[in-house]
Amino acid sequence: MQTLEFRAMNTSVLMAAEGDEQAISGLQAARAFIEVSEKRFSRFLPESELSQLNGFGGKWYSVSEDLMELLTLSLRYFDETGGLFNPAILPDLKRAGYDKSMDSILTQGPGDGYNRMHIPQTSLRDIDFDITNGRVRLPKTMEIDLGGMAKGWIVEKASNLLRSYSSTCAVSAGGDIVFVGNPLSGSKWEVELEDPRNPDQTTAVLFVGQCAVVTSSITKRTWSQNGQIRHHLIDPRTGEPAKTDWLSVTVISSEITEAEAFAKALLIGGRSEAGRLTSKYPELAYISVDPEGHISGSQFGKEYLNEYDRIFS
Amino acid sequence: MKLFKFGLRLWIMLISVMSFLMGWIMIAHAPKPIQSSAPSTFNATPIPTLAPLPNADTGIIQNNGNLFQSPQLSVQPLIQALPQSSNNFAPAPIFRTSGS
Repeated sequence: MQTLEFRAMNTSVLMAAEGDEQAISGLQAARAFIEVSEKRFSRFLPESELSQLNGFGGKWYSVSEDLMELLTLSLRYFDETGGLFNPAILPDLKRAGYDKSMDSILTQGPGDGYNRMHIPQTSLRDIDFDITNGRVRLPKTMEIDLGGMAKGWIVEKASNLLRSYSSTCAVSAGGDIVFVGNPLSGSKWEVELEDPRNPDQTTAVLFVGQCAVVTSSITKRTWSQNGQIRHHLIDPRTGEPAKTDWLSVTVISSEITEAEAFAKALLIGGRSEAGRLTSKYPELAYISVDPEGHISGSQFGKEYLNEYDRIFS
Repeated sequence: MKLFKFGLRLWIMLISVMSFLMGWIMIAHAPKPIQSSAPSTFNATPIPTLAPLPNADTGIIQNNGNLFQSPQLSVQPLIQALPQSSNNFAPAPIFRTSGS
């Protein structure tokens, strides 16, 4: 098994592929794809396609096929999660102080976004799509943060590229993981679930086959603003960092973008919304960790845990 | 008789002294055993100068102009030819999901 580890998209990327020279070529090609793609959809780069779109509020803007795909996917998950997954929260995210990259916040402190005016939430449904001509028009005050959705999409495309070199491979970016095939050394891929209270600890271990695994957490990207601890997960219903029942939610799904959207929606919505979402999507597999470190989740989610964790969850 | 005895004693004494002196002279003039200044004809085989150990990178030992592959070092290029992480049977890495 060949592995390649590097830093991109403000997180660590780990890729693995079975094989020799061909696998190495695949890893290098996937890395090049990730490094090019992250620049296209970053809201922190003024020249990125996403920043250009955000600067064209109220006007038609021609977008690439990839950005169109990301926007239509976002719209689909906005509907499926009842609006809990909403990439149009960027103005509120900036107001909470997250108006520069996390690396910059850690070194320079959060931005002065707290003094910004609160802009009433706009629905993702208010975006005008002109699919035939490849154009979209955002409402004037709307700004999009594709964040995790773009990361998941990039990981998925990178894994598609890598699988053309190796039938057994995996791509992970900060814990957003796509697994292709099953490893030769064992029947399952092993995934450690980081304890959201202590990054050095592992809460549970998942054993998965070909699938996507995504974790959303409120403890990874945090900062202090006027004495308050803030995090990056904005509740679209309040426009503020979400007050959640859980510290993290992990979703296992066949599609990484779906896992990405539902992990966010479940973490924001908590227990009450989880009941509604699992009744609507009974095969939804998720595992949540509360502030006391207790593991819970859907029946399908628990099946990925080992016997010990399953008994105590 | 007394004269005969005296003469005999004198004769024996002189012979003894003469023999002693003759022996001294002979020994004094005899060639000394390790005194030869002639060049040694001993043809000692010179100690061979060993060639330096070959560089591990080359895997080749040079000896009297003949090149031959060191059986011990011939493994080295094979190892180098393999990429560092090229182990098909290496276990899959353990992934970690932490959220972002």
